[in-house]
Amino acid sequence: MSKTKKVLGLISLFTIFILAFIPYLGLPDYLPPAVQQQILIEIRFPRIFLAFIVGAGLAVCGLVFQAMFHNPLATPFTLGVASGASLGAALSVFFGIGFSFFGLSSTTFFAFGGALITIRFVYAISCMRTGFSLHTLLLTGVAISFFFSSLILLIQYLNDLPDAYRLIRWLMGSLSVVGFDAIWQLLPFVVLAIAIIFYLSRELNLLTTGDDIALSRGVNVRQTRLILFVITSLCVGAIVALCGPIGFVGMMVPHMCRLLIGHNHRWLIPASCLFGGSFLIICDTIGRLLIAPAEIPVGVITTLLGGPFFLWLLVRTRKPTT
Amino acid sequence: MLCVSELSISIDKKNLLDSVSFAVSTGDYLCILGQNGAGKSTLLKALMGITPFRAGNITLNQQKFSDLNQMQLARYVSYVGQNHPSLDMAVLDFIRLGRYVHHDAFAAWSNSDQIAFDSAIALTGTEAFLTRHCSSLSGGEYQRVKIAAALCQQAPMLLLDEPTSSLDPHHQVEVHHLIQQLNQQHKITIIEVTHDINHAVQHSQHILALKSGQTLWYGSSAELLSSPLLPELYDQPFVTVSHPETGQMIALTSEVK
Repeated sequence: MSKTKKVLGLISLFTIFILAFIPYLGLPDYLPPAVQQQILIEIRFPRIFLAFIVGAGLAVCGLVFQAMFHNPLATPFTLGVASGASLGAALSVFFGIGFSFFGLSSTTFFAFGGALITIRFVYAISCMRTGFSLHTLLLTGVAISFFFSSLILLIQYLNDLPDAYRLIRWLMGSLSVVGFDAIWQLLPFVVLAIAIIFYLSRELNLLTTGDDIALSRGVNVRQTRLILFVITSLCVGAIVALCGPIGFVGMMVPHMCRLLIGHNHRWLIPASCLFGGSFLIICDTIGRLLIAPAEIPVGVITTLLGGPFFLWLLVRTRKPTT
Repeated sequence: MLCVSELSISIDKKNLLDSVSFAVSTGDYLCILGQNGAGKSTLLKALMGITPFRAGNITLNQQKFSDLNQMQLARYVSYVGQNHPSLDMAVLDFIRLGRYVHHDAFAAWSNSDQIAFDSAIALTGTEAFLTRHCSSLSGGEYQRVKIAAALCQQAPMLLLDEPTSSLDPHHQVEVHHLIQQLNQQHKITIIEVTHDINHAVQHSQHILALKSGQTLWYGSSAELLSSPLLPELYDQPFVTVSHPETGQMIALTSEVK
């Protein structure tokens, strides 16, 4: 137990270091201090704050999916939820639907809708066969991902050039924002999702042991799973609407945290949160500095790291962690 | 304590259980016998709320099953399943999960938790491998760990699905002994699915024999061997002889074709 706390403490220190140090990295020093100050406050701080909450949200949602499906390869991205959200957002851009409700843009609502409909659909298909098969679910998610990706390609093709470019740029995943307005739209969803997921950490511990054991220990598996589906869809939908699909964070971060901290979600959730946040900040900074003054979208960086990681997970011989 | 009447379960339009009725009183020890696919495990899962049932009634302490939520049910009943899932956690943590029903969301590990935990591991003799990883356990060890985790729940009724099927004779006797001890000394009501007729006859109080989802025979365990329905139960003739040491009647499969 004390080892777990030590590791969590180290992750916290690491996060504080990242948050304190990274904003000053790559500041153009030929500019007068006043301008530097302005860049820090209006561009750097919002961007790093956004990277942190997006990373934390994606990591925790990935953690939940891995626990629910007892499979490190199951994440909102591999199950098609993120593609659904992307398709929703792309549709709203394509039809030029622009409204806002309580300060939330139409794109956000369409992304929610896409995420929720996808997860409902994936779940329904996997229920059509006897019981609830996890393999069916994973395969359904993969098929849906491909299908939605082609629909998004079609939308790009049908759009005029500037819109198509915007879509492509957005689909690469990006964290460039100016000011804090967009962040205040996203923050409530991520905080709410993480809070509810943290509240359900004991249920998540039991869900990893399988439905039969979870039920016989007294967990209302159906209801817990429904809550988790809805809350992760909302969180992923909100993130995708603002930043585009940033893949593989939800797969890599929880997996590494498991190796470091063990299987108890009471500790895994805060660890994934902090580590996911700092991980995405680092990825974004690499993308920002690598070919400066140009930028590589953060989604490209995470996917470049995530692809090999996914393969490594697939071929790795399963060893006990203790 | 538990009353099952006219219970029917079907999955994918296939009837797995058809109008099964029986009752179990507090402190009872019921064994469920039957061929593979007779509906034994399905029945046990229905009692734990894992498999939903189509028709019939289950009442637990005069409460209807449908009025109990999963948490209330788990305070009365605990369950040890048949499969050995590969769990990515230490034995200690797996057993501790049994305290779920006694906790609020953020409750700390309390004194009463520790008492329940200690007694569960003492009964099952699992102290020696608490810090080991679940995937490193042998079949017999895992079985005892699963029973310890269920005992941690402190439910007055324990359901066991073929607890000794994959074990060698020594470990079978060990687990049988443990179950008897739980039943007799700790007054835990036991419902056990088993293929071991002689164990059922000698140790349990009642036997429910299922065939193709229907009740073939239900009564006092001692009377099963003299029942003419015994060969029908497994579509297999038996001979009964008396045990040379104890003098108790035991059944052996007949060689006569």
